[in-house]
This record gives sequence, structure tokens and C-alpha cells, in this order.
Amino acid sequence: MNKLLLSLLILLLAAGCTERINVNLDSSYVRLVVDGGITNDSMQRSVSLSKSASYFYNQPPPMVSNAIVILSDGSFPDTLKEQLPGHPGVYSLDPAFRGIIGKTYSLSIKLPEVIGNSSEYFSTCKIMKVARLDSIQTEFDPNMGKSGRWLIKIFAQEPGDEFNYYLLRYYRNGILMSDSIQKWGTSDDKFFNGSYIRGLTAFRINNANYWETLHPGDTVKVQMSGITKEYYDFIRQVQQAGYQIPFFSGPPANVEGNLNNGAVGFFFAYSDSFATQIIPK
Amino acid sequence: MRFPSTIVILFCLLMAFSGYSLPDTHKKYSVTGKVTAKNDGESLVGSTVFILELKTGTTTDQYGRFSLTMVPGQYTLSFTFIGYTAVTRVVNLDKDINLKVELETEQKELQEVVVKSERTDQNVAKPEMSVFKMDIKTIQKIPMLMGEVDVIKAIQLLPGVQSVSEGSSGYSVRGGAPDQNLILLDDATVYNASHLMGFFSVFNNDAVKDVKLYKGDIPANYGGKLSSVLDVRMDEGNSKKFEVNGGIGIIASRITIEGPIQKDRCSFIVSGRRTYADLFLPLSSNKALQNNKLYFYDINAKINYVINDNNTVFLSGYFGRDVFSNQFAKMNWGNGTGTFRWNHVFSKKLFFNLTTVYSDYRYILGTPDGNTNSFQWNASLKDIGTKGDFSWYLNPGNTLHLGAAITYHMINPGTANGTGSETVFKSIQVPKNYSLESGIYASNEQKIGHHFTATYGLRLSLFQNIGPGTVYHYTSDHVVIDSSVYKSGIIYNTYGGIEPRIGLMYQFNEKSSVKASYARTYQYLQLAQNSSAGTPLDIWFPASPNIKPQIGDQVAVGYFRNFRHNTIETSVEAYYKWMQNVIDFKNFAQLLLVDTLEGQVRTGRGYSYGVEFLVRLNEKFVSGWVSYTYSRSFRLIPEITANPYPAPYDKPNNISVVINVQVAKRWNISANWVYATGAPVTFPTGRATIAGKVIPIYSERNAYRYQDYHRLDLAVTFSSKEKPNRKFAWDLNFSVYNAYARHNTWSVNFVQDNIDPNTTYAEKVYLFGIIPSVTFNFHFNHE
Repeated sequence: MNKLLLSLLILLLAAGCTERINVNLDSSYVRLVVDGGITNDSMQRSVSLSKSASYFYNQPPPMVSNAIVILSDGSFPDTLKEQLPGHPGVYSLDPAFRGIIGKTYSLSIKLPEVIGNSSEYFSTCKIMKVARLDSIQTEFDPNMGKSGRWLIKIFAQEPGDEFNYYLLRYYRNGILMSDSIQKWGTSDDKFFNGSYIRGLTAFRINNANYWETLHPGDTVKVQMSGITKEYYDFIRQVQQAGYQIPFFSGPPANVEGNLNNGAVGFFFAYSDSFATQIIPK
Repeated sequence: MRFPSTIVILFCLLMAFSGYSLPDTHKKYSVTGKVTAKNDGESLVGSTVFILELKTGTTTDQYGRFSLTMVPGQYTLSFTFIGYTAVTRVVNLDKDINLKVELETEQKELQEVVVKSERTDQNVAKPEMSVFKMDIKTIQKIPMLMGEVDVIKAIQLLPGVQSVSEGSSGYSVRGGAPDQNLILLDDATVYNASHLMGFFSVFNNDAVKDVKLYKGDIPANYGGKLSSVLDVRMDEGNSKKFEVNGGIGIIASRITIEGPIQKDRCSFIVSGRRTYADLFLPLSSNKALQNNKLYFYDINAKINYVINDNNTVFLSGYFGRDVFSNQFAKMNWGNGTGTFRWNHVFSKKLFFNLTTVYSDYRYILGTPDGNTNSFQWNASLKDIGTKGDFSWYLNPGNTLHLGAAITYHMINPGTANGTGSETVFKSIQVPKNYSLESGIYASNEQKIGHHFTATYGLRLSLFQNIGPGTVYHYTSDHVVIDSSVYKSGIIYNTYGGIEPRIGLMYQFNEKSSVKASYARTYQYLQLAQNSSAGTPLDIWFPASPNIKPQIGDQVAVGYFRNFRHNTIETSVEAYYKWMQNVIDFKNFAQLLLVDTLEGQVRTGRGYSYGVEFLVRLNEKFVSGWVSYTYSRSFRLIPEITANPYPAPYDKPNNISVVINVQVAKRWNISANWVYATGAPVTFPTGRATIAGKVIPIYSERNAYRYQDYHRLDLAVTFSSKEKPNRKFAWDLNFSVYNAYARHNTWSVNFVQDNIDPNTTYAEKVYLFGIIPSVTFNFHFNHE
């Protein structure tokens, strides 16, 4: 739906022009920024801690070291270890860690100093189940756009019992092509709750973009993750952040994460499902 | 609300009116009649009828009619209207008299300058304020974007009116929201007045007769919106001879045909317009563009029939659509309206109008068919309403207006479904809603002595939600608990409002007066929109058990002074406005295709104030206006921020200069310049990095401002030679929008650099550089 509005917009904005401007911005107080989480497989098991900065700081984010970061499933606490010396501010679990679908995990953070208005932060997230991907299908549509589009379609049975939210990413020959949050796909199940998803187009790749387009013989893999509504909203808010389109955008607002005490960011937990196809030659 | 008791109050008030009138000790007679233009038979609204012997008079109403009651005797009546030769009639009033007065256009050399305008001293002498009336001839002189003459863009040049965004048809009146403006086309509500995302409005200037904007002091016969009324009247058609008017511009062409069906009795007008930028797309070398569509068209039509002296009817309609499609998406949207009106003269003193209106706004959004992902989404809003209005010219000191109106609203907020048998989508229906909005009103315009006039009235409004309907119940944190479903026909919620409207005028002399007014207004329907410029994807939602009606109170005072035989009108007006239950939305609200829209609404208070200075010129060769406004507008919505924040339309300093000069017989030059303080905006005061993306941490809402906005537009019109009885005339109009190419801000984005992801910068988006255009207009007539 949003893509549709966007294509409408692009047409209208053909006449619009941009130019860089200088704006004088004040700086507000420093906040803790939390980014990371866990999955039910080996895909993700670390959390990074950093500090917010003034808007035109223009340097890598200042990382927060020497924090005590503890993950708990309610019974067994697990300490995340800071990846020193290589990755200060990044705290990871043991490589053998696997989250369990249906469990709610909590993350507690104790900082060596006060950041924002607290030195202690807390968050929880539940690992939702995910619809199992049956298969995927790739298809080239030469009539779309100037150079044609590669479509990646997904097939899966959607469970009808609850509201589900999905995060979709794809890999080409083992390399993550949805490599920035801007390229992640998200969907709720409003339009297909409980039905069989028979070939929903999850990705539409412009064949003119040589760095991301597909070729016969490529191995394409789709990762579908079952995420919470809060994380779904968060991803979509981050994707829009910074851009104001007077036709569509509401007033700018801070993205809504799941940490307490005014920290920015999200502690996520989700489950994955994968499907692969080798594009026939 | 106890409705019956308010009716009692209303009737007491009516009794008070009649009690106030002087006792009829002498037998009196009435002179009534109608003033029309001799050349085309159209009624002259607001022409002056003056009784020389009594040094008093009246003006004609919106149908050109007047009524005067006097003791028997001989009187000299003078009829005047700007641009027309005055007519004097001597009447011997020994019985009731009905006059038909035709005024002839002044035989000036420069007929093109003739501006049908108001009674000359209306600014000072008419007991109304915060009103601006413009004739279409005035609007046609104003330079416009791409040469497209536009009623709404002209309105945005008035003091107290702010455009919501560059190029948009949305406007804010005295700090109110764009959805608080009632826009009427022949009394039918126009819910979305935009074409092409707002760059053009739905009003075709060839089919419009005049427009009147009420910014405050809203008469009791109008209701339903908080901030303003824009009353647009369609042309009635020439009842004397056939005329064809048309224009060819760079973006659109239009043609209008009008003429008599039966001379002097029955006239028609049909007007059509279409843009044609897309007609050239098939010529494009870009294969993808060849099948794109992007155009709009609209049609206006009206038939006016004078059955006899006492009965006139008209039927008018508007239909317009915007069409857009490319390979990925298709969309179309538009309004349709229809009006039937019967004017009836019951007696010399009692006039009646019965009006039935239909209004419809709908849109369809979807993807091309034949794909598993194909889907379609449509939504609509329909109104059917009727109203009766009486004008009762009780005696020279009292003019009474009373009436009643009822409107049925049918809203489908959205139906979405997959198209084709292969579809992967289920269908979704957001619950439809139905409501009934009604009102009764009475008001009296009373002259007390020679200097003082009071207009006082009361409107009682009633709003009822009618089944079938679904009402969700929410916790105080806006979480849905459960819902109630109501059967068809059940009234499940009722709101009522008492809306006093009071205006006072003290006229010092022929040249100056002071006026004051107070008006309360209720609004029961609002637009679910939180973007600044808006899209065609409008969802109107009604007051309901969860949403209280919005209430507005406005007080205004003003001083009015005319100079140089009324050719220079000046005024200063100050106002203060309070608004209750104003609507905003939670952050990141999802307004489209959601059942629980009401759960995302946050309500609070609003207030605005300002002072407006206006100088309006109506000289023979120079016309236009200069205005300066200082105004502020704030919202206090505790669930959004703890402190009041500037409304998006809070632009404190505002200047408009609109000038039209007849420089030579065939040459006309016009210019307008606008200046406004930059609109308030929320900017980042920090940043955080999430998954590699730098995201802004924002300031308090609207703590910053865009750069100030200013723009100059110019136009030159060259006309064909003026000859008596000429059948064909033309003019060529060259215009330049944004003449000094100011890059006015449309939005500011905060962007992460592609190459160095640690670097962020601010980027201004502006829509227009300098835009020149040319329009050819022609006129043809046949006796």
C-alpha cells in the first residue's frame, strides 16, 4: 500500500527539486541507544549500546562499554559479554544460544554511569511463531518499468488464530541483499489472515540496479521472521524517519521503542523460516 | 440536550422580534422587485436601492430581489450597481408595487475593466464583517500557477487565510484546520476541493458567478463547520443571447456554452474542462511512460427557469474526476454535486427558498488487474439534504431570516479486496457509518435609529448517529475493549448544540462604521488527516459516542472606513477564537483502512487570535488589495504534548498585495506578492543509530520554522479591439508564477549520506522555480 502511494508520489515529484541547506539545530540531552536482540536460530544474539549525539555529529556513534547486560527467560539469566577489544559496546551471548518460540525474554542493562536520566534500563520481547515458508518462486517481468523487474513470490500457510506480523529479507548466493533496514520488507496479516498465501510478491527488484538484481543460476533465499506488533511498528517508523512528504507524512515524532526510562531503540526477539530457490537457466 | 425547551426559547426570541417592530398605525404598502443586468439577464446581487425622499434604502439579496415597505406617497427610487448606469424610477405608492429593473452596462471605452462588485458603500454600511466577496472577473485578473484561474488560490490571498502548503488547495482560516471550512457550490457541500493533489481546485472559473468567504460572523443559516464558509455560486446562464466562452492554456482547456432556452425566462449554462498533459505521453520514447495517465476533467451545468413573477427554479450540477494510472498503480477520485432550488415569493414581504442537494466524494485506489497481488480499495462519502429558508421583510427596520435544514451522511471509510480469481488478498470492510445532521435557525437584522444595526440569531443543531453501525469501546489508554453493533435505523447517539450568532454595527456616517460580532459554531464531521498537504485519500468521520463535536467561539471587532467616493475601502479587524474538542492524531497514526480510527484520535483545545489590516481599491483603472495580518494559532492536546504548540498554520506575519492595472485600452497588467512567516516544523535535536541508519531525535512539536515564504506572480493580458456589437472577442494572457524564482520550502528532509553513513545533512525540497505560461481566451456571442 505504501509503495503504491510512493509510486504515485514519485510521479508527482518529478518536478520537485532539492537543495542542501544549513539549519541551526539545538542539542537535546544524551540518551542511551539500544539495538539488537535474539532469534530462535543462530542468526542474531547480540545487543549494541551507544549514545545519542547532536544531529550533525557526523562521526560513528559513541559506544557504551563496561555495561552489565543480562538476558533472562524468567528462570535462567544469561550474561552477554562485551566483544572486546574488537567491538566495544557490542554484547553477545554464547554462540550455542537459541531462543524458544513462545517464550518472553527480558533484557536488563546496568551502565557504569548515568546516561539520560538513569543508569538502569529494561525491556522485554516475546518470540512469536512464524508461518512456515513452503517455497518461493522468482519471476522476471520484462514489462514493468524500463528495464523490467525481478519478482520474488512467497508461498506459505498463514495461521489464522492471531494477528501476525512479518519481516522479510532476501539473500543472493548467500549474501544478504536486504542489507539495510530501509530495504527490509514488512507485512501484517490483515489481508490474508488464516489463508494460504499463494504467491504474494514479497520483493520487486529493479533489473537496472546491477548491484542487487538477479540472474539465472543465482541461489535466492528468503528469510521470513515472525515479529511482534511493536517491532513491526518500530521498523516502519525507522524506515520513514527523517523524511517528510507533505502529502502523506504525519508530524515527525520520535520512533517508539520498547525500552524504559527514555532509551531509544529496540530489543527484539523473533523466529525465522527460510525457503530457497535456484533460478532456472 | 433538552431539545423542546430550546425550541421554546427560539420561539420566544421570534416573538421578541415582532414585539420590537413599530406598531402599524398607518396603512403601508410595499415596493418589491428584481434588479437584473440588461445584457445577460443575470440577477445583480447587492445592488443599491435608495429612496431619495427618505434618505434610506436597501440592497438586493442573492437573487437580485428587494422589498421596501413605506407609508403611501410619491417616492423616487434610485438603482445603482458598479459598472452599470444608474436607473431612477418614480413610484406613486397607493398600492403594492412590483418593479422589474434592468440596468445597462456603462458604455465605457474600457469595458474589460468593468467589475461587477458589491454595493459601493457595503464595506461600511452592511451589517456584516469578516466577509470578503469576489466577483469572478476580479479572480480572473489574478496571476495563477500555469495560468489556471482558481477560486481557491484567490481566497488564499485574503487576510486571515493561509495556504496549508505550497500549491495546495487546502487553507486555514483564522487559525482553523483545513477541514473546518465549509465549501459550498450552489449550497451543496464540496468535500474535497482539489484536483491533481491540490495544485488546482475543482472550481471552473467560467462556470462560477461569484464567491463569498465568511471568516467569522457566520450567519445563522450556515452550520456544520467551525471556521469559515466559502459560498460559491454557479453562473445562471445568459437569458438574452447565446454565448460561447473558452480558453486554451498550457495545462488545460475549457469551454462554456450558455444561452436562453426561452428568452428572459429560461437559461442554461454548460461548462467543461480537461487537462491534457497526458495526451502527449504516447509520444514519449520511454515505453513505461506511454501508458501512463494523469489528468482531470470536470463539468458544470445549470438550468434556470423563471416560471412567473413569484416562482423561479434552477437545477445545477457538478461532476469531476481525476484519473491517474501507471504500470504499478491506478487511482481515480472526484466529487459530484447536484442542487435543485425553488424560489417562491409568498407575498411582498415573504420570500422562500427550498433547496435539495446531493453531494458525493469518492476514490478508488488499486493495482492493475491480472496479477495475484492485484487489489482495489474504494471509499466514499455521500450527502443528501434539503433545506427551507424564509426571508421576511417585516418592516424597514427588521428583516427576519428563518429556516431549517436536514442532511443524511453516508460514509464508507474503505472497502479493500483483491481483484481476479488468483488473488492472495481477503476483502476488508471498515464499518460504514450513517448520520443525520439537522438545524433550525432564526435571525433578525434590526435597524435601531439611524446609526445602529443589530443582527442577532440562533441556530440549533442536532447530530444523530444512525444504525447500522459499530462502535468500539476504548479504555482511557485508547485500547479497544469490545464493540457494540447497532441495527439499521436505530439512533444510537445524539448531540445537540445551541449556536448564537450576534453582529452589531454602529455607522458614524456614510464613510465609517464600527462593527462587532460573536459566533458559536459546531462541527460534527471531520477529516482523518495528519499530513500537511493532504491527499485525495480523504476519510471523513463523524462525531460519535467516542468523538465529541468540535465547538468554536469567535469574537471580532472592526473599524471600517471608505475613502474617495467608496473607491478605497479600508478595514481593521481583530479577532479571538476558542476551539474545543479539536482533533489531532497520535504519533504514527494509521488512518487508512482501520476499524479503530477513533482510538487514534487525540482531542484538546485550540485558540487563535490576530489583527487584519486591509486596503481594497476599486478605481476605474486600478483595482486590488493590500493586506497585512498578524496572527497566532495554538493547540493544546495534553496527550500529544504537555504544553501548547503552534498549529501547523501559525504563520504570524502575512502580507498580500494584489494589484490589477489597466495600462492602456487593450493592455492589462496584474501582479501579486505574498509574504508569510515560515510554517512551524519539528526538527531533530539529536540522533541515534539503529541497524546502521541514523534516525533523528526530535524537538518539541513545531519548535522550529521553515524559511519565510514569499513569491511574486505577474500577468499581462492583451485583448482584442473593443467594437460595438462585436460578435467575437479574445484575449491573450501571459503569466509568470514565482517571478523571481524563490525556492520556497515544501519540506525539509534529514538525510544520511550514501557514501559516508556517519554524515547527515538537511535537504530542502521545493516544488517550483519560475513557471511561465500562456492562455488564450475567447468569447463569442449570438443574439
